[in-house]
Amino acid sequence: MSHSGIIFPGIIACFAVSLAATVIIPNSQLGSLSPEIKEEDGRFVDAYPVADLSLAARGKEVYVSQGCQSCHTQVVRGNDTADVERGWGVRKTVPRDYLFENPPLVGAGRLGPDLANVGSTAWRNEPADDPYKPVKRDAAWQMLHLYHPTAVSKLSNMPSYSFLFQKHRIAGSGDKDALTNLPKTLLPEDGFEIVPSADVKALVAYLLSLDRSHSLKEAPAVAASAPAHK
Amino acid sequence: MTEAAAVEATSSHTPLDTAAASVLAPSRTAIDASVRPVVIGLFLTATVWLLLSTLLGALAAVKLDHPGFLNFSFLTYGRLAPAAENTFLFGWCGTAALGVGAWIIARTSGRVSPGQPLAAFGAVLWNGGVLVGLVATLGGWLRPLNGLEYPLASYVMLFAGLALFSTWVLLTFNDEEHHSLAAMFIMAAFLWLGLSLLTGNLLIATNSVTGVVQQIVAAWTAGAVSRLFLVPIALGTACYIIPKVSGAPIIAGSFARVMFWMYFICAGLSLAAKVPGDLLPLWLGATAASASILIVVPVAALVYILFASASAGHHGAGSPSLRFTIFGCGGLVLSSLLIAFSSIRSVDSVLRFTLFDFGVHSLLIHVSVTMVLFGAIYYMMPRLSECEWLSSSLISFHFLGAAYGSSMAVGMLLLSGLAAGEAISEGASSFEQVMEVGSSYFWGNSISFLLVLAGHAAFGLHFLLMALKIGQPAGEPTLLRAGSEH
Repeated sequence: MSHSGIIFPGIIACFAVSLAATVIIPNSQLGSLSPEIKEEDGRFVDAYPVADLSLAARGKEVYVSQGCQSCHTQVVRGNDTADVERGWGVRKTVPRDYLFENPPLVGAGRLGPDLANVGSTAWRNEPADDPYKPVKRDAAWQMLHLYHPTAVSKLSNMPSYSFLFQKHRIAGSGDKDALTNLPKTLLPEDGFEIVPSADVKALVAYLLSLDRSHSLKEAPAVAASAPAHK
Repeated sequence: MTEAAAVEATSSHTPLDTAAASVLAPSRTAIDASVRPVVIGLFLTATVWLLLSTLLGALAAVKLDHPGFLNFSFLTYGRLAPAAENTFLFGWCGTAALGVGAWIIARTSGRVSPGQPLAAFGAVLWNGGVLVGLVATLGGWLRPLNGLEYPLASYVMLFAGLALFSTWVLLTFNDEEHHSLAAMFIMAAFLWLGLSLLTGNLLIATNSVTGVVQQIVAAWTAGAVSRLFLVPIALGTACYIIPKVSGAPIIAGSFARVMFWMYFICAGLSLAAKVPGDLLPLWLGATAASASILIVVPVAALVYILFASASAGHHGAGSPSLRFTIFGCGGLVLSSLLIAFSSIRSVDSVLRFTLFDFGVHSLLIHVSVTMVLFGAIYYMMPRLSECEWLSSSLISFHFLGAAYGSSMAVGMLLLSGLAAGEAISEGASSFEQVMEVGSSYFWGNSISFLLVLAGHAAFGLHFLLMALKIGQPAGEPTLLRAGSEH
């Protein structure tokens, strides 16, 4: 057989080695993971992670559809790293965290902060004297952030997702979900209100569901679950 | 070198062509005629995708600095960036690579290509896949798989188109002769892409793999498009074009073949490096990083061999093909060095997820592969359309925009990534401070894109004229200023 006569079998062999090493063997290791179940005295205490069938699941679809993963990762890297120090998580993210995510939203880059634990109350360690440090990042804060990012984070480079909101004429006592925390400069004209769409409500539910601070055997929490010194 | 010698070297009747032509083999004219409509059609659609994706890329670059610019749901950075990148990858690079590959296989096999309708249908399906992917991504029907953002329907069309097209190429491929390195690279690239698109998408779509393994499979499949399809096509094309233009055969043929196999083994094992190390089994992270570093050896060796061939030849001064191809080959070496650099664990921990990654990818695809493909089109079109390029000034302007504009954009991305990576490693700095440091280079990136866009527009116009057979009236090969190519 001439040297060149082995192109096809040779390339198929290289492909098979690549497939085995990169997919088949890792899948046999990572594909058999299951939720970590905690029991005390034979009684079930809790399990992590759990499949999400709620509004947040719809919110994940909105997150993907808007391309949020192009700018936000959902992976805290390493335990002794700036990620943990910055308050993006209390421990590194591991494959078990993504057990029910097909696919997991690891993200393409960090043009915005990591969101692996954005729903955790301990997320981010802004300095105490930061004038933009929110009391808490609840649904109202997330809504305003999506509607007009620089209203809550002056240096934010995130585009406004105002197209996910509608301006409605106020009827009766108004919509119970209308934004009530708008700064004066963003208030609509008298008689109108800004109402979040179903998509943005689902998206906020998804963001608030993101909390991977549950301690795991292979990744015990290394940072306090409450905000650190700054 | 005299002008006459250069003209001889770059005209459609090179001495090597003549020597290679067997008495019984069909003429080059007949071979070219058998692939002409399909290949010119592919180049035409590739040029449309090139201009469109560059425009979208320029818009994405502007949005990095001005996030509120044209703030519509279908033009948010999150959709625009993957739409621009995938359309550049599959629409421009992929479509042009199909055309270049098919022509080189026909030429090296010395056969008239049978079954043009098969190839034409394959090309239509391929382009349809790109169109569906682009519209779906901008419309929000994208997948959160890095590098595989087009929806599944798009990949079904891309694979079906590739399968039909590859069958056509296989029918042309002369399996009985001792193959040239160029043919080996191109056939291997076609085979790997088909296997990879099929396997990767099947594994994900059927949920045969779940959780983080889906991202590993995505990295393996998307990485194969760049490193095991486009780069081999670029290397194979350079192996064909450089000896033809320079008039000197490739030296160290056997050694080059060893490097060929080394490249495919290393590149095949390097793909998981795109997934963060904490999410991989330790051994896989180490294997992928080592393979990423080892890739430098075959790429540098092959490019050295090609450069030696270029400098040993006595022809080619002023050849646009040679200038673009050599620039692209140099970019391949630099890309592989940067890939190796960013695979070092301590470097990866700083630069991962910054724009440095995208800068390296851009150097590989937007500069290196793209320049080699341009070089091939400058070489092939006079032979396919039987007329010579109209203006050397337009080619020079195109080179200026494509080479320097793209390189400048890459430089800005790398610098931005380095600055942001250093800042992000300091836990004490807020993320807003990190972004402020990184964003200092965004304006430069936007300006670079204007240069790139102008260069590609010049190419688009020139190509259109060529497709309409509007070229040099004298029919003389169009050369850049002799001696200015190195």
